[in-house]
Amino acid sequence: MSLLVARRLTVATRIGGTIVPVIRGLDIALAPGKVLGLVGESGAGKSMIGRSIAQLLPPGFGVTGGTLEFDGKDLVRMPTNARRSLLGRDIAFIPQEPLSALNPVLTIGDQMAEHFTHLGVRSQPQRLARAVTALEAVHLRDAADLLTRYPHQLSGGMCQRVLIAMAFASRPRLVVADEPTTALDVTVQARIVSLMAELQRRDGTAVLFITHDLRLAGRICDDVAVLYGGAVVEQGPARVVLETPRHPYTRCLQLANPALSGPRRALYALPDQMPGLQALANLHGCHFAPRCPLAGPECRVTPPPLSGNARQVACLHSPLTAGIMSPVTLPRPPTAVAADALLTVRGLAKTYRTGTFFRRRDTHAVVAASFDITPGQFVAVVGESGSGKSTLGRLVMGLERPTAGSILLAGQEVTRSSEAARRHRIRTAQMVFQDPQSALNPRRRVADIVTAALAAAGSDKATRARRAGELLAEMGLAPEIAARTPAQLSGGQRQRVNIARALCILPQLLVADEIVSGLDVSVQAQLLALLQRLRQEHAFAMLFISHDLSVVRHLCDRVLVMYRGQIVEQGATEDVFAYPAHAYTKALLAAA
Amino acid sequence: MMPRWMRSARVLAGLGLAALMLVCAMAAPWLAPHDPDEQDLLAMLLPAAWQAGGDETHLLGTDGLGRDVLSRLLYGARVAMTVAVTASFGAALAGAITAYVAGYLGGWMDWLIGRAIDVWMSFPPVILSLILMTGLGTGARNVVLAIVLVDWTRFCRVLRAEVIVVTQRDYVTAARLAGFSHLRTVLKEIVPATMPLLVTLLTLEMGIAVVVEAILSFVGLGVKSDQIAWGQMIADGREAVYQAPWNLLAPVLAIFVAVAGFNLLGDGLRRSLDVRTLEGRE
Repeated sequence: MSLLVARRLTVATRIGGTIVPVIRGLDIALAPGKVLGLVGESGAGKSMIGRSIAQLLPPGFGVTGGTLEFDGKDLVRMPTNARRSLLGRDIAFIPQEPLSALNPVLTIGDQMAEHFTHLGVRSQPQRLARAVTALEAVHLRDAADLLTRYPHQLSGGMCQRVLIAMAFASRPRLVVADEPTTALDVTVQARIVSLMAELQRRDGTAVLFITHDLRLAGRICDDVAVLYGGAVVEQGPARVVLETPRHPYTRCLQLANPALSGPRRALYALPDQMPGLQALANLHGCHFAPRCPLAGPECRVTPPPLSGNARQVACLHSPLTAGIMSPVTLPRPPTAVAADALLTVRGLAKTYRTGTFFRRRDTHAVVAASFDITPGQFVAVVGESGSGKSTLGRLVMGLERPTAGSILLAGQEVTRSSEAARRHRIRTAQMVFQDPQSALNPRRRVADIVTAALAAAGSDKATRARRAGELLAEMGLAPEIAARTPAQLSGGQRQRVNIARALCILPQLLVADEIVSGLDVSVQAQLLALLQRLRQEHAFAMLFISHDLSVVRHLCDRVLVMYRGQIVEQGATEDVFAYPAHAYTKALLAAA
Repeated sequence: MMPRWMRSARVLAGLGLAALMLVCAMAAPWLAPHDPDEQDLLAMLLPAAWQAGGDETHLLGTDGLGRDVLSRLLYGARVAMTVAVTASFGAALAGAITAYVAGYLGGWMDWLIGRAIDVWMSFPPVILSLILMTGLGTGARNVVLAIVLVDWTRFCRVLRAEVIVVTQRDYVTAARLAGFSHLRTVLKEIVPATMPLLVTLLTLEMGIAVVVEAILSFVGLGVKSDQIAWGQMIADGREAVYQAPWNLLAPVLAIFVAVAGFNLLGDGLRRSLDVRTLEGRE
């Protein structure tokens, strides 16, 4: 007997007069006490399923067919009152953004008490006692003291623990967790996941775990359903599906994820990206066919049904799936000739002054950082948020003024911010920003954005147009993109434009701040392949700031590990990953 | 395709009313049936043409000195529009420059400008403008100056916040890293992003300027007494409100229509040009 069953569930929206399905004929079943993972990239419709359970679909979206049953009762057609009595009590939710899920003007105690009031606990002392018990269950120390705090006084990980405590407080039968760890640091992520697993086992709760992270799904889920374009393409026991995929899409995702151990291999970069809703609706046959390496004409006739028993696959060619392989050769980094360092950083420090004149508080963002980058070398900076890795990048780019230390770039001292130093710096080093949404002026055309450096140097229009064409071709972007504005591009395209701008005048050093985080796995694999190709062509060095260890291992030659503003360990990537010396590096690797 | 602001009913209505006012002001010599200063002491306080005892040549009647109300109204629009346009552009210019300096440079400069505005805004605006007019003396140019001096803070305050938000965008940093100067970065990256807000404030300020000019003229501290202004007409018409109500009603309605036009235009532009809605679109 399953606790949550979706039968031919269809969710649709209306785009310009036509009804476009977002979830098409979904069949899933979740047994009591089990963890079902819904995995897929953005646009696969995985969040829509969680939202259908709460009936909190975005405006304009609605369930148009099928049933969604909880304990034999249809959640979709249930009266609002009946659903409300289930939600929060029998069905609990853990949100993606812990900080925005808590009310900033109420204390943790107020919010938990309110939750227990909803659960029917009458007296305030009882509510508080229950809150303390719940917080202790998620291993938060000083629970009584915590109740008097406001959300902004807690870290993201602590807020997420509070929310997990609230979700499990009513001993629900089903918990829906929508990307519960995406907004958190790696080390915190691991702890949150094991905490959820612990509570889930304690209470025998069923969990619907929505994630884009295959590795995470493999660790926590009993079963997984892989979604593409609003439909399940493959489902079955988590280990079986993720380790020996039978659907080409799952296989490609598996090959697109860089490995944390074992030999380094090239990534499989799926072409393009998931089509938009409208394009998907107009596709005949298998929705993955346009990107599938195995697709033939027979795939474009009718959508293949899910078939199989314990593990189901929707593909005509599933026996051939295991034959999809990554490109055999990993692009070799250009062998470094023994050369003078391109960037030499010695004792670099940045201290922020906050507080009033009388009660001054110093925040040490970066403490005595020393390292070198030789020409053509890719150096990674890893660490959790607040470890000072972004500040380090901004110091190198001269966007922050260092409190102490020196920066030597291509043989010239650029520590002091003189105009000559600035000119030298922007010729030698360029920056790729984290958030392409904010990094691209929404009023400019792509051609103007990528050749801004030429415009600043006073080049004429024809030169700039030619260079824009070259850059777009190099980034694998279609020439007509030159005339578009950033709003008309997809996330992956924007990040390519972002990289193109930094490469416009061929700098020797790129400072890249989290440039592949927040992208889908297949887009990330495309960008990593692009960076490796560009590296071979132009031999630039890179300071690659990232929290994703597997990406770092895949891409970089050296790694700097930062913890609380200090570089606690540095060395060749393989050495650091195989034999971590510092306790923090070990914790980081254990968590990943 | 037409830009979004052109399709907004508010913007079109506001533009229509504002254009009507501007046409009246510019074409006053041709539109006015009489010389606005021509006195006809035999036809004082005539009611409007459609009322009993009205005269067809004086559509809205005459005032206490027998001057044609319609003609005075049309000529009054000239002062009102001149002041509205020049004063709001002046205030916008002064406020915007300080806002860009404060918001972009930040630090002590921002602190200094912020405190100056705090002090400035602690004076009640009407009192401040009355004091300024007493010191400067009457005249349209001084009315403009008084409005600019009082109202630049409004622009600076609102725009500064927006400038700070835009300055923190990575594309502004990227422009600096591409090698552009500070001036060029502000002009090409920040000004266009804040322009919709500036245009909206500017339009709303025009409505405010019309009212301020009317207030100052009403108490006799506005334009010189030989110039025709709506505020003066209200002051004059007040005494004969029962004999010839249009002496009072006509300028009041004119101010109402002008302010409503500018406010509708400003409000419509704010809704359709808002930076957030532009950048939020995927």
